[in-house]
Amino acid sequence: MALVPLSYNLRSLAVRWSATLLTVFGIGATVAVLAGVLALQQGFETLFTESGRDDVIVFLRQGATNEGDSVFSLERAQILMKSLPEVETPEDGQPLIGAEMYLAVRRTKTDGGETNVPIRGVSQRSFDIYGDGVRIVEGRRLASGADEVVVGKKLVERIRDCQVGRTLTLNTTPFQVVGVFDSDGPFASEIWGDRDRIGEALERPVLNRVVAILKPGTDLADLAARMDADPQVPCKVLTEKEYLTSQTSALSFVLRGLGFFLALVMGTAAVFTATNTMLAALASRTYEIGILLALGYRPYAIFLSFLFEALVLGLAGGAVGCVLALPLNGVDTGAMNFQTFTEVAFAFRVTPQVMVTAVVFALILGLVGGTWPALRAASMRPTEAMRRV
Amino acid sequence: MIPFTLVTKNLAKHKLRFVLTVLSLAVAIFLLCVLRSLVVALNAGVADAAANRVIVQSKVSLFVQMPQSYGPKLKLVDGVSSLVRWNWFGGYYQDPSNFFAQFATDPKELFDVYPELYLVDGTKEAFLADRKACLVGAETAAKYGIQVGDSFPIIGALYPTTDGSAWDFQVAGIYRSKKKSLDENTLFFHYDFLEKSLESGAASGPDGVGIFVLKVAPGYQPVEVMSEVDALFENGPQVVQATSESEFQAQFVSMVGNVPLLVSSIGGGVMIAILLAVLNTMLMSAREQTRDIGVLKALGFTDGSVFGILILQAFVLCGLGGALGILLAKMSEPGMARAIGSMFPGYQVTMPTLLEAGGATLAIGFLAGITPALRARALSVIDALRAVR
Repeated sequence: MALVPLSYNLRSLAVRWSATLLTVFGIGATVAVLAGVLALQQGFETLFTESGRDDVIVFLRQGATNEGDSVFSLERAQILMKSLPEVETPEDGQPLIGAEMYLAVRRTKTDGGETNVPIRGVSQRSFDIYGDGVRIVEGRRLASGADEVVVGKKLVERIRDCQVGRTLTLNTTPFQVVGVFDSDGPFASEIWGDRDRIGEALERPVLNRVVAILKPGTDLADLAARMDADPQVPCKVLTEKEYLTSQTSALSFVLRGLGFFLALVMGTAAVFTATNTMLAALASRTYEIGILLALGYRPYAIFLSFLFEALVLGLAGGAVGCVLALPLNGVDTGAMNFQTFTEVAFAFRVTPQVMVTAVVFALILGLVGGTWPALRAASMRPTEAMRRV
Repeated sequence: MIPFTLVTKNLAKHKLRFVLTVLSLAVAIFLLCVLRSLVVALNAGVADAAANRVIVQSKVSLFVQMPQSYGPKLKLVDGVSSLVRWNWFGGYYQDPSNFFAQFATDPKELFDVYPELYLVDGTKEAFLADRKACLVGAETAAKYGIQVGDSFPIIGALYPTTDGSAWDFQVAGIYRSKKKSLDENTLFFHYDFLEKSLESGAASGPDGVGIFVLKVAPGYQPVEVMSEVDALFENGPQVVQATSESEFQAQFVSMVGNVPLLVSSIGGGVMIAILLAVLNTMLMSAREQTRDIGVLKALGFTDGSVFGILILQAFVLCGLGGALGILLAKMSEPGMARAIGSMFPGYQVTMPTLLEAGGATLAIGFLAGITPALRARALSVIDALRAVR
């Protein structure tokens, strides 16, 4: 059976251009808000998950969900580090394993106000383990045993006293900023210093996690099971990637929840608008529908024709929404990582996934908004329709 | 002169369109109220802070505890009438996603320093008598179905027990607060219980005090108490920062970072989407009324009254939608407070929020009504009568 030519709908939309534009932009604004929230979530999540490595292994205290909760005494950390024959040992004879201290410290933002910045006390081993994951981009690496720190690149502009040559005071001890480092992951929002010096300055003689690189071919599941039941220092073993992924769950959950709530609420409003526009289009074209029916087009063809028109509105709205959201891509922002209560800097990411979600959402809006008017159009009788002017 | 019946008749002409527009407006205004209330909730603690309380915390970090020995020294500071210790427990109920705040505190002093705290069930005596007793906020109690007399097992992520079991708290009372300075989601338990468990080796975790809250005696200046406290520990071992309660609350708002900005951007998007939708409806109905306008003008209605009819239609439409949205926001208040209480304690749809929503409604009505109204005013009788629908 014959369908109504699609050009009929496209021309109708063009003739009623002001209503079409208002509807398209209305849907567009709705879609852009949703895309923005999703882009925020994507930016945050990729920062954590894509930078995590599978070959770097993280040891946490049993039951701890993040580094802040995980605590090892110096003694226990030493026992742990010596009890692992699986650790890779390069030619210099020093195994690739290091303990780190982690604490969120209070810092002042350059624009005023306080925030929590993670400070990581490391040994030279940490630099060896992360390799290219941590690159000095200005100044130099910190010297062991010195009151020096290097700062993550994302902090330089945001946090006071985070430029090379400045002095950061921790508790009562001044630390010299000697370098800036970059990293693709959350490290770029951290301050790194010598583990022993930082521990002493903060009066915190504890360590928070141990990181290592294992010999190729080590069975991680076996190791995890053994360490879980270890009589001396039982601990939780996971890859850096797994660790970082687990860190995103709280904020991702909030952002996804927010996105879903907004989609539902704003989507409802957008569906009503689309229905209105289609109903108005219908009212002014009753006569035309009568003619189409009289010409022999079947009701289902009329139904599909009007549904198509609503989908075009939705698609155009989705496209406008994506265009509106696109400038957000790459814009730097910060958000609170609820797990450690620290602020991480990252960029919005309008990924293809975000765009597809946005367009599909817009199409659904058009579809839901267009169904009822299309049904109404299809159920008209030719004589009545042509009589109604 | 404006014929009011004409305004209502015109609006009622397309009942479905009218209802859909009102509903989408209601949804949008509801969303605006919710978003605004989130920001209000963030700032609730600041607004309701008591002037006679001074908070002493580590200057270095939220997560660093002060030595127990600070307590007796702080008590001797001139003007301090009583003191209560708070220590973050960082546990969860059954699953890490069941997150709410728990604090070890001094039970007797808590009631003295926080007079806004009152019990809706259970007794103060029962709470004081049993070392394992706890007070649970009414919101948390409702969320998990906890009643007085129940035991409330909390898994200590930060303070794990040696045998891996949950901490067993006995619910002695359900509290509420007369002010937003205390939120109604928290669990309070005896500091002694935590301390004795750490001493006996039944549990492990950081020892010390998270914050000291000082009650300043009448006649003393809190500012002087603060500077005296700051000076007392200037040289360590742990440098402290004494602030007013409002500053203490404000620091959390600052740490949460971009939330207000995020919320206002979303609100902006909602406003634009809904404005376009209402404008669309108004333009549609104005177009359909072109001939009526011609008739009215031919009958002798002035340009002014035609303008009035159209703008009044926009205001009536928006007024209805806005009122419905405001009603919805107010009615959903208890449910929303429960759903997001652990993240946004003190969620409340306040009068200023409702007034702002009302203002936004009127602004939308004006912006959506002015274009068609101006157009109708300028229309000549002949053009109007000649118009094709």
